[in-house]
Amino acid sequence: MRKSFLSPGTGENRRPLTFGLLVLVGGLTVCPVVLLLLGSLTEGLGAFGRLTLAKYRAAYADPGFAAILYNTFVFTVGSATVCTALAFFLAYLNTRTNLPGKVLFRILSVVPMMIPHILFCVSWVLLLNPSNGLLNLLLREALGLSASPFNIYTLPGMILVEALLDLPIAYLVLAPALSAFDATLEESSHVCGASRWHTFFRVTLPVLRPAVLAAFILVIVRSLASFAVPSVIGIPGRIYVLASHIYRLVATGFSPDYGQAAAVGTSALAASIVLVVLYRRLTASSERFVTVSGRGYRPAIIELKRAKIPLLAVVGLLCFVWIVLPVLVLGYVSLLPYSMIPGEKAFALMSLKNWRLVLADPISRLSLRNSLLLGIGGAVLGMVLSFFVSWVIVRVRSTAAGILESLSFLSFSFPGIVIGVGFLWFFVLTPLYGTLWALLIGYIATYLPYGIRPLTSALVQIHSHLEESSRVCGAGPLTTLRRIVFPLLVPGIVSGWILMATMFVRELSLSVVLSRPGTEVLAVQILRFSEDGLWGRLAALGIVMILISTALVVIAGLFGRRSLRAFGLEAS
Amino acid sequence: MDIRIQGVSRRFLAHGKVIPALDGVSLDIPARSIFTLLGPSGCGKTTLLRCIVGLDAPDEGEIRIGGEVVFSQAQGIFVPPEKRGLGMVFQTYAIWPHMSVFQNVAYPLEVRGLSRDEIRKRVGRVLEFVQLSGFESRPATRLSGGQQQRVALARALVAEPRVILFDEPLSNLDAKLREETRKELRAFLTRLQITAVYVTHDRTEALSLSDRIAVMKDGRVLEVGTPREVYFHCGSRFVADFIGRANLIAGRIRGRDKDLALVDSEIGPLRCAAREGLSPGAAVTVCLRPENLRLLPAAGQGELNRLRGRIETLLFVGEAWEGEISVGAKRLLVQLPAASELREGNEIDLGFVPREAVLLAP
Repeated sequence: MRKSFLSPGTGENRRPLTFGLLVLVGGLTVCPVVLLLLGSLTEGLGAFGRLTLAKYRAAYADPGFAAILYNTFVFTVGSATVCTALAFFLAYLNTRTNLPGKVLFRILSVVPMMIPHILFCVSWVLLLNPSNGLLNLLLREALGLSASPFNIYTLPGMILVEALLDLPIAYLVLAPALSAFDATLEESSHVCGASRWHTFFRVTLPVLRPAVLAAFILVIVRSLASFAVPSVIGIPGRIYVLASHIYRLVATGFSPDYGQAAAVGTSALAASIVLVVLYRRLTASSERFVTVSGRGYRPAIIELKRAKIPLLAVVGLLCFVWIVLPVLVLGYVSLLPYSMIPGEKAFALMSLKNWRLVLADPISRLSLRNSLLLGIGGAVLGMVLSFFVSWVIVRVRSTAAGILESLSFLSFSFPGIVIGVGFLWFFVLTPLYGTLWALLIGYIATYLPYGIRPLTSALVQIHSHLEESSRVCGAGPLTTLRRIVFPLLVPGIVSGWILMATMFVRELSLSVVLSRPGTEVLAVQILRFSEDGLWGRLAALGIVMILISTALVVIAGLFGRRSLRAFGLEAS
Repeated sequence: MDIRIQGVSRRFLAHGKVIPALDGVSLDIPARSIFTLLGPSGCGKTTLLRCIVGLDAPDEGEIRIGGEVVFSQAQGIFVPPEKRGLGMVFQTYAIWPHMSVFQNVAYPLEVRGLSRDEIRKRVGRVLEFVQLSGFESRPATRLSGGQQQRVALARALVAEPRVILFDEPLSNLDAKLREETRKELRAFLTRLQITAVYVTHDRTEALSLSDRIAVMKDGRVLEVGTPREVYFHCGSRFVADFIGRANLIAGRIRGRDKDLALVDSEIGPLRCAAREGLSPGAAVTVCLRPENLRLLPAAGQGELNRLRGRIETLLFVGEAWEGEISVGAKRLLVQLPAASELREGNEIDLGFVPREAVLLAP
């Protein structure tokens, strides 16, 4: 059959847009991967020359490498197990029981956007480090112990903190699956004479298995990519995982070995891509498997009776540990010259000295400026790109659009530090090396799915007739995008922008590789403070960072709600 | 503005198979009349409409609107929808939810760059025409289905288009409102003296609304004509069955008696109005509409087309009895006067006038 010179179903040529985006997104996502591979096969940064396997030999024959792989395995699988169990517990409580305080659950899924991961790790270090962790000091004094009861600088410590960090993600995967669960499946098991526990293990869990597995795999991907926990908690405890090993190769010592880092990075990247493919397959099949009946079944709500108060206390404690404690600890430490337990002496020594030092520190001020610029401006650029990509994915539906969709979700599986090394190999070939543009491009490439996702899901809600009628009314394609599609997408655009901006403001793992003198950003500056043990200044700068993220979420939230009301869409 | 469609084909790829949505369609749509594309879902009527309006492009053929070529595969011409100067009412109405009634209706004029005063004047006039004066500032989401439909109509009319197109505009209304709106729409369009192309799968809608009807099936046009022509003198079994309730009776021509054809059918010998080109021995289908079968007095004799049958099912629907009569092995649909005393199981005599039976190809 002759190929229509017009794309199907539209009657006009959308090829230039689709192919332009394909080149752009393909460049952003494939280029760092290709350069990572190339880089791993060459002698040194910037000098490609003859291909060699020397870097692979050096990387994988390292006697310490087996221990690193072991640590990585225990760390990722451990945090995935703890995190999935915790998330399942919370999601089950929220969707299937009459536990009061549902607002706590909403807080649990929004607030993590406001507290950057690195600060969360630091606050746990401040609480539980063996030499002067606040909780350790308190317990030593109260119980008269000679040694600290807790040591955060261990694998269990890393696992605990990582599990808490990834909890919202796992929760967001599990909660919808649980609330869509068809309760008649359980009821028929009860009718057959099975007890509640028997039913839970024989019916509920197996039916939800795809969703549970999906959450589990997602947390593995996250913890494999995690850099905050391995650097702030792992490195002081000399527990190296792949991410921190790569960091050690490129950022510490006198001769950074980018080739060896790339060689290590390829295996992390491969593992991550495999896991993400598995995840996408699971979520696709879970939609079939988990019975979203749509026949108006409401999940049977379990009366908690006596367990209500203790369970509510557990959830409340989790919220406290998760949200209040880190901010409290940082605020407290920012006012003190060194770590000490709260008391008369501490209050006498409190001052704003750390705040004055940080706000006068030129590098801290520069990092603040850079992060704000990247966060606000970068997210705007990122959303512009996401807008066009989402529109092509949802509306054009050609083969090229399908490829564009896959490409744009590829970066979802990129561990930041690994892809940072890939980008570094790319940027040294260009004048972008060492500029804010390098960071900007890296950020947008890595976080593109966060912008595209809210937009595609908003766009499929908008009937194509709304656009087509505008065309028939005499408006061209661009006028239609501006006057019909854009206004209708504002809620999606706002939520995508918040997500991107908060991600950019706190970005760490990509930045530690790409940031150079003059392009310092907040999270990297915090990492430097933590490496130097300057906890007071770190805490002050950290509070500033939390305030920025909170302000972004609040302002954008207010704007989003107002625009919704203006369009009269609030009710729907 | 007349529309000429010549040899238009449109193929879709679905699951690796090529599906011909339009298969060499040629149609002449006369100016200032209501032209309906009628057919079951999947017959290609909406695809044809989208090709006319420019939201889809054929793979082959040519489309002219008022003499201007808007699509030609041979010449590589494709005029985008916004340059065709048409108006369209969508099945979903496609009212923009972020705009008020006024903004919705003013949109076609705004994108044409008219002055504010002119826009206000023309929107006011068209809203009055569709009886929505006073609703200008109402958010489009706060409208009933019927009101949305009128906003869509006003928006399609406001720029004084050359042609207005309707894609099943009444299918989202409830039955009573649909009937009223149909009457109104017919009055509107006749008053406006505008060319209208109307797509529907509802035969009553097509028959009552149109000046001409094209019946479509599997991407082809089977028949074109006025509603009466299509109803009474349809040329195929499919159209006969689709355009109304019909009894299709198989038979063979035995001979001819002046302008009557004698048919040996599965329910006995019948006399029907003769049709050119059917010689003795040809297999035919006799199409008998239920309302044409009349009750005959039981004792009568010597009438043409007397059928004796047994009432199998009988439903009282108010204005008539509707039921099935078995004549031999064949069951016939009938519509009998409500006043007659009938009971299931009764034996009755039926008859019909020869010119009301249509001979079709088998």
